[in-house]
Amino acid sequence: MAASEAEIPPGKSMTVEQTMLDKGAQMLQTLEPIKQMSQHVCTFALYSNDMHRHIETHHYVTRINQDFLQCAVYDSDDSHGRLIGVEYIISDRLFEGLNPEEQKLWHSHAYEIKSGLWVNPRVPEMVVKPELENLARTYGKFWCTWQTDRGDKLPMGPPALMMSPQAVNLGMVRPDLIKKRDDKYNISTDTLKVSRVEIGEPEWINPQADYWKQHQKCFVVDAEPVEMKKIVDPFP
Amino acid sequence: MEGGPTQAEIPGEPTHTGTAVLETATATIQGFGPVNKIHQHLCAFHFYADDMTRQVEAHHFCGHQNEEFRQCLIYDKPEKDGKLIGLEYIISERLFLTLPDNEKPFWHSHEYEVKSGILFMPGVPGIVQRQDLEKVAKTYGKTIHFWQVDKGDSLPLGIPQVMMALTRDGQLRPGLAQDVENRYGISFEKERENRVHMTGPDHGLHPLANAKCQGLRTVLREVDCQPADSMPRVFT
Repeated sequence: MAASEAEIPPGKSMTVEQTMLDKGAQMLQTLEPIKQMSQHVCTFALYSNDMHRHIETHHYVTRINQDFLQCAVYDSDDSHGRLIGVEYIISDRLFEGLNPEEQKLWHSHAYEIKSGLWVNPRVPEMVVKPELENLARTYGKFWCTWQTDRGDKLPMGPPALMMSPQAVNLGMVRPDLIKKRDDKYNISTDTLKVSRVEIGEPEWINPQADYWKQHQKCFVVDAEPVEMKKIVDPFP
Repeated sequence: MEGGPTQAEIPGEPTHTGTAVLETATATIQGFGPVNKIHQHLCAFHFYADDMTRQVEAHHFCGHQNEEFRQCLIYDKPEKDGKLIGLEYIISERLFLTLPDNEKPFWHSHEYEVKSGILFMPGVPGIVQRQDLEKVAKTYGKTIHFWQVDKGDSLPLGIPQVMMALTRDGQLRPGLAQDVENRYGISFEKERENRVHMTGPDHGLHPLANAKCQGLRTVLREVDCQPADSMPRVFT
């Protein structure tokens, strides 16, 4: 860790006044979309532009319908967890309807689930089995906006596209990361893997997803200066 | 802009009963650590950093990490089926000034949005929200949208977009403004009078903020995966 955990992000501690304001707002406002989050998933992801960098992720998932989920992604599940990005999850049916250029940005979930990496902490495996069966056939698109794993104290740079773990060498998650996660939740990824053999492998995973596997190509988002199309001058 | 901010319906089957039951279970069993810190709802507008004419109503659901740092999820509407379209980080001027110069253009000022009455907290009495907005007026924000709902996208397509905020009169589309004022029974013009005493950043608007007073656009770059996949990886 380049920076001590406590310093990310830097800043003065909360004043009593601000805490009161927050409590007051929370009582008056309904925060409806936030209340819809119904699952906490812990798993791992890899940076597309640097596949050696792996992170543990905590997804707070909202289901919009049977084919679409949206997730707020944090780097930890405690109350200080930092918001590091957003992931969208769609069914294979919706994925097949995307154009091939778009499909390149998405990753498959079958391996992540079959290998036991993807877990719902504290939920008995038996309870989530049916959901895992569904998710094994989905695709995800995950943008990371805060690279806390490299010690960024504040969010820096353009968003990074993230990839899912895969069964080939560049896609294998660092064992020490898995152990740390397993110890925390008192689970065993290896045992889960065994118990999940019966989850059906999708008959077809579109090779446009996990684009790097077939094409050895990864993606970087750059931000470049441009003349803004304006309504009034000047800006700002 | 007819009939509210949301046009496209997300494709997909209605959630199956089994899935819904299961998620009721996970929602009950699981903890929602970082999500529980979300305590306020702010409504404002964003436009694309390369195109001011494309403007989006943005509902922010924010949590404080500390007195100088908030992290927010952004939805297109504050309802159950609101689309998670992006996120925003809000930092104090002091933290903003610690950012490297090449990072500053991603961040926008909040002074105008607050002082003009346009940024507000739905359902919170004016006198209460003004206490907090007085602080917000001095901050900078970094906003990324992943879902271009203004284009009518029914799914999150393409690459992330850097967003900017309003900085002067004449920028906000009158239709958008009226729509929000009608729905919430408020008047930006009237609220502006209540906020005349508020001030922006102590050192004035930084010339590198707000897309360097110019514009920003994101582009996708395809690169060779590093390192080459042929290299066997050995874990010790």
